[in-house]
Amino acid sequence: MDLLSVRNLRKHFGGVKAVDGCSLTIEAGTIMGLIGPNGAGKTTMFNLISGFERGSGEIVFKGIRINKLPSFKVAQCGIVRTFQIPRALTKMTVLENLMLAPKAQAGERIWNVWLRRRKVKEQERQIKEKSRDILRFFEISHLEDEYAGALSGGQKKLLEMARAMMIDPLLMMLDEPFAGVNPTLSRKISRYIDELREAGMTFLVIEHDIPAITRISDRIIVMNEGKILTEGAPEEVKRNRDVLNVYLGGDG
Amino acid sequence: MIEYASMILPYVTTILLFSSIYAVFALGLNLEWGFTGLINFGHAAFFAIGAYTTVMLNISGYPLILSVAAGVVMAGFFGFLLGIPTLRLREDYLAIVTIGFSEVLRYILLNEEWLTRGPFGIHGFDRPLQDVISYQYYNIFLLMLFVVLLTIVYFSLEKLVHSPWGRVLKSIREDESVPSALGKNVFSYKLQSLAIGSAIAGLAGAMLAFYLQYIDPGTFKPIETFHAWIIVILGGTASNRGTIVGAIILWTFFSVTKFINPYLPFMSHQMGAFRMIVIGLLLMLLMMYRPEGIFGKKEELALSD
Repeated sequence: MDLLSVRNLRKHFGGVKAVDGCSLTIEAGTIMGLIGPNGAGKTTMFNLISGFERGSGEIVFKGIRINKLPSFKVAQCGIVRTFQIPRALTKMTVLENLMLAPKAQAGERIWNVWLRRRKVKEQERQIKEKSRDILRFFEISHLEDEYAGALSGGQKKLLEMARAMMIDPLLMMLDEPFAGVNPTLSRKISRYIDELREAGMTFLVIEHDIPAITRISDRIIVMNEGKILTEGAPEEVKRNRDVLNVYLGGDG
Repeated sequence: MIEYASMILPYVTTILLFSSIYAVFALGLNLEWGFTGLINFGHAAFFAIGAYTTVMLNISGYPLILSVAAGVVMAGFFGFLLGIPTLRLREDYLAIVTIGFSEVLRYILLNEEWLTRGPFGIHGFDRPLQDVISYQYYNIFLLMLFVVLLTIVYFSLEKLVHSPWGRVLKSIREDESVPSALGKNVFSYKLQSLAIGSAIAGLAGAMLAFYLQYIDPGTFKPIETFHAWIIVILGGTASNRGTIVGAIILWTFFSVTKFINPYLPFMSHQMGAFRMIVIGLLLMLLMMYRPEGIFGKKEELALSD
């Protein structure tokens, strides 16, 4: 079943065609890699799908058209994204970062803070428990009470994924999860993604680290200059001559 | 000795009265700026709306408690209204629009004599329990009332900022794209923060009117907004306790400088400028050596990212 289908997506910034008529579909429970040189339009594609930018074309998620929705509504539909440069909420603790995320918290409504104290308290307890489970999964439990600003770059990436998990997403879009991460952590991240996929989650992953992305992806889309160059299984894509040209800038 | 006490007591009472009024006023700003990251340079407008609504309703015959409630609601409502077109703007633009709003409002108050009596101001409105408490003890009574109000505002805010609601506000302050990517309606939360912060400023406005017994548009110049900013920065951004301490420090400073004026080589009209120079220096030193303010948490002001 197609979880996400994008048809003829376009976004131009003045004369720059950042995304120029892209179509793609992602099947539920799979990992789709999205690669391409810098400026290919990958992050713009992410912004369009997650509602952070508006373009023309159609984006359908679980049969619902989402391309007119603001980002927070897209998130409520079950699409969560991370950012290229991890955006940890630096002046909040790791635990607070996670506890922020869950949807429809009673205590987010101002009157409930007074009128439904017990429910808010009970929910906070549950959310805290869930946060700790997820921190355990990503093996960063020991950082629970640290301010997120004190974390290393790699730890911030894990924090961002953990926080995204808190909203029980159906589709997780990761923007360069392996960038600037040491090999050990890189393998760990692959493992986490794989385990989550086993549990039924779907992924769309932007990445420049070709070995890492071919290791985890079921299929890979290659973008260049706003267009989709090719799509296929990792092995096919790796052998594709056009892809080699784009990446190596020569005859490869 | 007794003479001395009878001199000191009203003096201290005055300082504490102003401190409590401005503490409430600045607590509203602290919710907006300290916890939500909104740069509101027009906070004085809501101070004015609260004060004017309260006294105008009261002199038209409405009971005092109802007038105060209306003042609070009206200030909150105007915060809400101003927020609708402006909170989608980037934060520096919000600053420009809000300071513009507060000046426009002040000029309206100044010029619409049929409504607000313009530059003549309004006096002759009721004060709480004025018939019951003797004049001699009235300021002491007012101080107790203000401390009660301040306490209520303080604890309500503490409860709010430590709730899941407050957590969303803090995340907006940090980086609004994060809550947005997690499904939080950032605009709605900003609007709530601005409306509540403004309502609190409205309450402070009513308190100020009760103390002064007279208000005019000159009472609500932009400098009042910046007094609130000084208080919040001094006490510690995002610390409600610090805000209260900041208010006491600022008003003690104002009074002391007035008190020692005869011993300084200035004319009294130069004193205002002198005070601002000292405050400016103080803030600079604070920024250099303790940027988180007196009660702020250092970790919450980590500049590295």
